[in-house]
Amino acid sequence: MAILVDKNSKVMVQGITGGAGKFHTERMLAYGTNIVGGSTPGKGGQEVHGKPVFDTVAECVENTGADVSVIFLPARFVKEAAIEAVRAGIRFLVVVPEHIPIHDMLHVRREAVAHGATIIGGNTAGIISPGQANLGIMPDIAFKPGRVGTVSRSGSITYYVADTLTQSGYGETTCVGLGGDPVLGSTFDEILLKFEEDDATKAVVMCGEIGGVYEERATDAIRQMKTPVLAMIGGVYAPPGKRMGHAGAIVEGKMGTAQDKLDALAEAGAHPCKTFSDIPKTLAKLGV
Amino acid sequence: MRLYEFEGKQLFEKFKIPVGERHLAKSPDEVYRIVSGLRYPVVIKSQVLTGGRGKAGGIKTAEGANEARTNAEICFGLTIKGFPVESVLLEPRLDIKKEYYIGVTLDRANYKIVVIASGEGGVDIEETAADNPEKIVRKSLSIEEELFSFDALTIAKKTGIPSPLLKEGAAIIVNLYNLFRKYDAKLVEINPLVLTADDRLIAADARVSLDDDAVFRHPDLADMGIEKRHEEGEMTPREQQAAEWGIPYLDLDGDIGMFPGGAGFGIMGNDFIHYYGGKPANFMDSGGGPSPERIAKMLVLLDENPNVKAIFGARFGGISRCDDFARGVIMFLKDHGLSKSMVMRMTGNMWQEGVRIFEEAKQKDPELFKNIEAHGIETPIEEISKRAVELAKQEGGN
Repeated sequence: MAILVDKNSKVMVQGITGGAGKFHTERMLAYGTNIVGGSTPGKGGQEVHGKPVFDTVAECVENTGADVSVIFLPARFVKEAAIEAVRAGIRFLVVVPEHIPIHDMLHVRREAVAHGATIIGGNTAGIISPGQANLGIMPDIAFKPGRVGTVSRSGSITYYVADTLTQSGYGETTCVGLGGDPVLGSTFDEILLKFEEDDATKAVVMCGEIGGVYEERATDAIRQMKTPVLAMIGGVYAPPGKRMGHAGAIVEGKMGTAQDKLDALAEAGAHPCKTFSDIPKTLAKLGV
Repeated sequence: MRLYEFEGKQLFEKFKIPVGERHLAKSPDEVYRIVSGLRYPVVIKSQVLTGGRGKAGGIKTAEGANEARTNAEICFGLTIKGFPVESVLLEPRLDIKKEYYIGVTLDRANYKIVVIASGEGGVDIEETAADNPEKIVRKSLSIEEELFSFDALTIAKKTGIPSPLLKEGAAIIVNLYNLFRKYDAKLVEINPLVLTADDRLIAADARVSLDDDAVFRHPDLADMGIEKRHEEGEMTPREQQAAEWGIPYLDLDGDIGMFPGGAGFGIMGNDFIHYYGGKPANFMDSGGGPSPERIAKMLVLLDENPNVKAIFGARFGGISRCDDFARGVIMFLKDHGLSKSMVMRMTGNMWQEGVRIFEEAKQKDPELFKNIEAHGIETPIEEISKRAVELAKQEGGN
């Protein structure tokens, strides 16, 4: 089992004829991901790595039954591409490009919610359900099928955590990269609750970092969950971040330091970990 | 990207937000020339890309042209939070009856735009928000929503703007909201919005921050003389060099040179060094899939930093490849040479190949590699962190 993607997901690639699209389509296929096609306006009828290319997402969905899409397009085209995808019935969308205009992401998020779709990114390394599907740009070397889920803002942290889980024999159900952009398609709490519904996931490691408010927002979800949550936060010793003027402080309250975030998560019942080697120790203690 | 007050006011004017008379001057002599034609007292406001200029002595008044020049000379001599004052804004002083606060910003957690207003404007608005939240009026809107005049009027009324000026107040709020949406802003703030003795509303200050990633959509900013710029404060020479090379880099006050992969581990790796009793000299992010040339440049930044006693290298090849990483390190060793001790680890994508390339080059020229301890997947990253701290201590670090 897994969350969001598995071997039965029918995956398409938006921007499949571009350099990055082509390159990563090949990698994803090599992993065994069920890629059914892709779209690039004006390139309908072509093929990439044996998969059909359509002019629109709707045509791809109609002809291949695609229900998941990965976007490899320049940031300025993401707003339209993402809205096109969710309106065409894509239920899960992975936005790999970074530096997407913030206002665009607000539009995209609104459309996704309206259509019941889930989005991760921008600036995500992707998502992998080991042994089943690998979407995005993650190397497969760190991952093995297993029983722990991970959710992180950063690609590099995802690799380290998965590597730790793999080396210590736990393996992973699904590893989700939320992305590094300032406004993200999904939040920690939303992904945590999906792991809670997955029987195969016996524990979740969440890795946040200093800045923003997404980590603090996870506390309600953690309180509701039966599945144990391990939490790591990067930036305990980072210099104080730049603040967004008075209005930012009024809206977001005190900017969460890494320690504040860890304290809030621990208070909600998460198990804090300082370094990667704390993860298997904590899992063992919890009897996972 | 943060705008100067005078630039913010240009945008305000474009959106019909009243800003009052003002003149920009770039030298004390220019100040002298301009104020000779103005009504006194005149306010001299240092233009810097940071808050707190009043408390730093960057705002002065003058009753005559000579006093204005003398005070301007003081302003031009100031460096406020690292920003040297390069221009001042001259304004006839407003006769203030009351100050309000109006701001529009993002509520990222809830994916909304928030309009905030208060009848208690001025520098201490955050304390007001914390101590007397009931004195802050807020309205959340979705990105596609229009802010209607009747809603803005309600906000204006709650802040206590007097009835005869409610329509003007509401228009200012609507226009500020429209500016926020039109220019992809992260924050726009009028603090204070002044009610003058003769019952006019004037935006006495302007704080505008735009989304760097959306500036490409607004070519008219350049036409207005508003150039794209670095968001944060003044950069150190090394930070400037890194920025020219396109490498996200920050100087910190420790002595371990940090040479990690992505931003995520860039941040967390610094914590690891602290956990084992060391202090990082910098934060750095290689970006995704760095070329050998970029890897070499990252090392140049660290090796030439006199504060660095030892270097901590960590590469988890994701989209990036460890063989490229190894080639970059070798390129640096050959072209530049390593004067510090370095401990590094390669794992992930192509790590065996990276280690092999390394060993091969080392056999050919062991002298080049004498300061490097290279590890692969067998050594945990925690051990590498500990070793970096030890090396720095051996070199006389803290």
